[in-house]
This record gives sequence, structure tokens and C-alpha cells, in this order.
Amino acid sequence: MKEDILQGNIKFLNLGDLMQLLGGNGSSGILRIMSPYAPEPGIIYFDNGNPINASCGMLSGLDALYSLFGWTDGEFEFTTTRVTSERVITKGRMGIILDGLKMLDEGQIERLGPVSADTRTAKYSEVGAELPVIWGPLVDYMYVVDEEEFHDGDAILEEGRHGNWVWVVLEGVIDIIKETASGPLTLCQIGNGSFVGSISSFLVRNNSRMYSAKAVGDVQLGVLDSQRLAQEYSKMSYEFKAFVMSLDKRLRSVTDRVVEYSTKQIDLDDYLKYRQKVLEQGDDEKRLFRVQHGKASLVQKTDVGFVPLAHLQRDDFFGFIPFLDLGHEPEYASVLASKDLKIQTLNPDIIQQEYDNISTTFKNFIDNIATCTNSLTKVLNNQQRELMT
Amino acid sequence: MAIFNLKKREIECKIVYYGPGRGGKTTNLEYIFKKYSKQITGEMVSINTEGDRTLFFDFLPMGLGKIRGCDIKMQLYTVPGQVQYSATRKLVLRGVDGIVFVADSLEVRREKNMLSLKDLQKNLKEYGLNIFKIPLVLQYNKRDLADEGIPLMSIEQMEKDLNRQLKAPSFPGSATKGTGIGDTLKECAQLTLKALQKELQWAQ
Repeated sequence: MKEDILQGNIKFLNLGDLMQLLGGNGSSGILRIMSPYAPEPGIIYFDNGNPINASCGMLSGLDALYSLFGWTDGEFEFTTTRVTSERVITKGRMGIILDGLKMLDEGQIERLGPVSADTRTAKYSEVGAELPVIWGPLVDYMYVVDEEEFHDGDAILEEGRHGNWVWVVLEGVIDIIKETASGPLTLCQIGNGSFVGSISSFLVRNNSRMYSAKAVGDVQLGVLDSQRLAQEYSKMSYEFKAFVMSLDKRLRSVTDRVVEYSTKQIDLDDYLKYRQKVLEQGDDEKRLFRVQHGKASLVQKTDVGFVPLAHLQRDDFFGFIPFLDLGHEPEYASVLASKDLKIQTLNPDIIQQEYDNISTTFKNFIDNIATCTNSLTKVLNNQQRELMT
Repeated sequence: MAIFNLKKREIECKIVYYGPGRGGKTTNLEYIFKKYSKQITGEMVSINTEGDRTLFFDFLPMGLGKIRGCDIKMQLYTVPGQVQYSATRKLVLRGVDGIVFVADSLEVRREKNMLSLKDLQKNLKEYGLNIFKIPLVLQYNKRDLADEGIPLMSIEQMEKDLNRQLKAPSFPGSATKGTGIGDTLKECAQLTLKALQKELQWAQ
């Protein structure tokens, strides 16, 4: 029997509206919500228009249903089917909807999105007050060619060693560690959907690893088809390639700043030496630029002083990226430049178009770089705060 | 815009009670829920939102007839006024068919009434609705407090403050005593149905 399906985006028709629609229609079946920020879909079972059970990650029942109100972005899909789940939820539909939205408004339900939910916090003392755990988007198995298992404490990557493989975390958590003058430093942890290895891993022959990665508990990794990714990359436009490489470089820069902060080697003057302000933090800039000549630096102004983020050189981009949230310029950082800076204006729509057309895995990779950059920038903020207090 | 439920042959309209915090919106709905219990199909949903409770229940208006053989069901809501409740307010106000604005007659609440009315206009605009066009009824609540010597604004003054441009039907009321509550709702329900029929050109 063919099932009736209703599908769409939760941004357009939110959970409250959806529940009213299914309720008014007296529908029985299963509602699945897929968020790019959650490893597993959220599920709600309906019987005769009323929700009777739900699951969301580790949660079930009413708690799960409420937490799904925080999923404000993602795809939903309702299929009519006879529901065998037992009735765990007895509260009325409208009561749940109004309660759910109220809790969302009051901040009792976590909003799942690119910044807030991806950086769940774990206790850690070395890198500022909080060690972020970075979760990636849903894994696209099309590019997974093999699976590997690691156990607690196993080294997955070693910094400085050569290697071209890239993995995606299928299950588990990994420590990302940098070697510093004062010993190893755990930068962050990555979880399901995050990528292990950088873009250059499959592009540069004899790529040397930028960091070490160690399994925390049992970890299952998917080996990605590097050749396919490299092929895809080779077909991209020159602008987009430069954009991707620059994004990767941005993450490396931010990573290096975290290390510098922790070893007290940060040199702010090196970033503030450029006198020309090309982009002021908070500007409503809607363009994207590429550096053609000269040098620039990226600095974030916070309530505890300036935080240096990166140096920009030829072929690096800066400005507004409509589809990524790095937590940097134009909203959260300024760009200072040398007198001889020459820039080219790029049309962000064209970059966006190319981004929209690449494979899901490549897109996830790029999104993951942005999320990591965003999270590590927050670490930098905490480090600056500690430095000042 | 009302929802047509073809399965149940019902037309669902939405009436929202709006007004300053602690002005009596909730008391209005609680009174209706108790007094007209025969016309109420489900239970009352009550959510504790800061400053004011948010209420919801279904109400079947009597004596207003059917539209094309469809029963009419009204969903009555109160809406939390605080800025922070944007998701809740969006759900409540989206597709609203009629509004009862419950104003507080206490002299000290004069400014709060005007601010709340302005806020209503702004919120409606966000959903593409015009306060001058949507079925709207005003209620000047807490009239009974005059007997206890609490300074109230006169009806004339409240009309001038709130209704000079709107020219909406208005009723004095006392939500705790129950006076004016039924009249307010009835008027709003009638206006809402009239607007609906006009919109659909289904005048019977």
C-alpha cells in the first residue's frame, strides 16, 4: 500500500502549525523531522491527530516532543500509517503546542541551529573555560567507502605525519589535539557528522596532518572517497576553489590563535598594525571580496578587548557569505588592511549558486569547517576573557 | 482567515483576546468557559506565561446558524503581550479572524492601554492585517471597581483615548462579575461571521 506523504521545510511550516494541521485532519502516522544539526531525525507518532509518542536523540515521550520545538530548521516528512507505538503522551494537542512555544520563547528549549546547538559544552580547563563539542550535519553515505572502528585512546591521526585520508564521524567523539611548546593541547571535541582531516588532505600529495585526533570511547568512522572529492573539487570554478581553500586557511589561522593564546604568545600588535579599516565590525555589508594584492588582518572587538583572528593575503576572501556562519566579519569582526591593498568584488550569489550545486558531502565538509571556525572563535573569546581577568 | 475542515464539515475561526497585562483577558475567557460550558467542546488549555496566563479553548457559538451546511467553531485565545513570547504570539495571531481588546479602566493603567493597542496594530501589521479592517470589539473592563472607590477613567475618556479613530463597538464590562462579557463575545462573533461571509460572498 502506498503511503500518503506530506513533506516540506520546517522553516516554512513550523512544528506548531504542522501539529495543528495534522490534528485538524485527524491524521494517524509518523512525522519525521531531519535537522542538519542533529545526528538522528526526530520522530513524532500521531494517532487520530493527537501526538502519542515521540523520540529525539536520547529523549522520548513528551520531553522529546518539546525539544523538537527547538528544531527551527530542517526537513519534515509525514507518512500515514497505522501506528503501533503505545500512548505515552496524554496531554492535549493545543496544550503541547502552546507550552512548547512558550518554553521556546522563554529559552527553556534549546534552539537547534548552526551556532548555539553545535557547541555543546564539556568541562575543560586548558582551553578557556569551555571545550566545545562540534557536531556535523547528517552523514551522506554516498561517499563513505569503508567503515573503521577505534577504541578509547586510539590515535586516529598524528600531527606532522603524512596522510591523505579523510573520515567522517559516524558515531562517537574524538579529541582534536595540537602539539604546543607547553605540551599537547586539546582544542575541541568533534562528534557525529564532523570531518576528520582537512580539505587539503585529499588535494595535496604528502599532506602533513595539522593536528592529532584521538578517540574518546568507542568511535566509528566512515572513510570518505577522497578521489571522488578531489575530482569534484577539480571541476569547480577558480573562484570557488579559492574560496574553499581560503575557508580552510581561516580555520587553520583560528586554530593557531588558540594555541598562541594558550602559550601566551599572542601578538595583537601584529594585527593592529594596519591602519586602513576596510570593513567595520557590525557593518551591513552584503558583498564578498577577494584580496588581489597587499595584506590585511581580521580582528574581533569584544567587551574584553581585541581578539586577533587571522591574517589575510592574496586569494583570501572576506565579507558576507550568505550560506555560512563563521562568526566573523561583517557582523562580528573588522578587516584592517595595508595601504597597498587591492581587492576584487565577488558576487556572493554566484558563489552561493555553486555551493548549492555541489555534492552533499562536500557541502557538509564546508559547513563543518565553518562550524569549527565559529566554535574555535568562541574559544578565543573565552581565552581573551581569562587573560583580562 | 478561517480554516475549512472539510472532513468534519466545520469552519474554524479564531478570536483573540488582546490587551494590557492583568487587564482581564484571562478572566474574560475563564468566565466564558464556566458560564457557557455547554457550548464548549474540549478542555481549557492554560499556560503560565510570565505576567499573564495564556488560555485556549474551542467554543461553539449558538444561534449564528451555519455557513453552507458547515458548523462554526471558534477558537478563543488570549495572547501573551511580552516581547519575548514571539513564537507563541505568532501562532496565536496568525490567521486571526476577530479581536476583543480588553482595556483596563483603572486610571493608572491609561498609558498601558494605549501602548497595548499600538502594539496590537504593529503585531497585526506583521501578519498583513489592518486594525481598521479586522473585526474588533473593545471592552472597558473592571467597571465594578468604581463601587470600591478606586479611581477609574470615564467611558467617554476611554472612548477618546482608544476608540476615536477605530470607531469599533465597545462595551463596559466586569470580568469578575460577568457583566458585559457575553455581549462582547457575541458582538465579536457576529462581526467575525459577517466579515467571513462577505469575504466569501456567501451571504445567506
